[in-house]
Amino acid sequence: MVHALQEIHHTLTPNGLLIDLRPVEDNWTVEIPSSSGLQIAGRLTDMPIGKADDEAAFAAMKDVETRGWYVREREEEFAFFYYWDTPSEMKEWIDAEWDDFEKIEEDVYRKAQARWATANADARVRVRVKMLITRWRKM
Amino acid sequence: MKPLKDPDGFERKKLLDFVDFTDSRVLEVGCGEGRLTWKYAPASHLTFGLDPDFDALRVARADCPPDLRGRVHLARASAYHLPFPKETFDIALLAWSL
Repeated sequence: MVHALQEIHHTLTPNGLLIDLRPVEDNWTVEIPSSSGLQIAGRLTDMPIGKADDEAAFAAMKDVETRGWYVREREEEFAFFYYWDTPSEMKEWIDAEWDDFEKIEEDVYRKAQARWATANADARVRVRVKMLITRWRKM
Repeated sequence: MKPLKDPDGFERKKLLDFVDFTDSRVLEVGCGEGRLTWKYAPASHLTFGLDPDFDALRVARADCPPDLRGRVHLARASAYHLPFPKETFDIALLAWSL
């Protein structure tokens, strides 16, 4: 990662900006939004590979900051939502696409099914992903 | 079935609050299918989107809005070997790729 950040540093103009935008592991919340309100079904389980990826990314940015290549100007967290029509579609996606870094436990899935089934007809299911955005300036 | 992603546009709003892309030369590392690219590229002068995934780039090329075709360039490449001269870009965007 540090080598890639060095390559990017090389291609940036003096005082150029590097924007790091990415999801971070945080046992993302499973939610059931509908016209009757928002219900929480539980949280996903972070997997070791996902946690290790986050740690490596944070370590790489700390490394290049220490080397004086970039200076951190601003950083914020925000929510990014994935929506599905049904809990089963959500589970299918998580099992197939997020299997390396997130897992939905059976009890959370059952709660999502129960809350979705008893909510208003317009109920959907969503996962609230924790996002981090950081603006770095080339030194 | 694919999920609907960020229907309220929080990501776009936050990105445009963090950086002004107006007339800038942008390098996006990890552009994928261009989901994020189309949201800021209209303001840029020039955008290069890189991704190692050939299939994702094929989708991005097909989905590229007509008015961006002369301004957005997509290529299969890794951030470990960037095929650009020194000091080419004003902004580099690591899009879900670090």
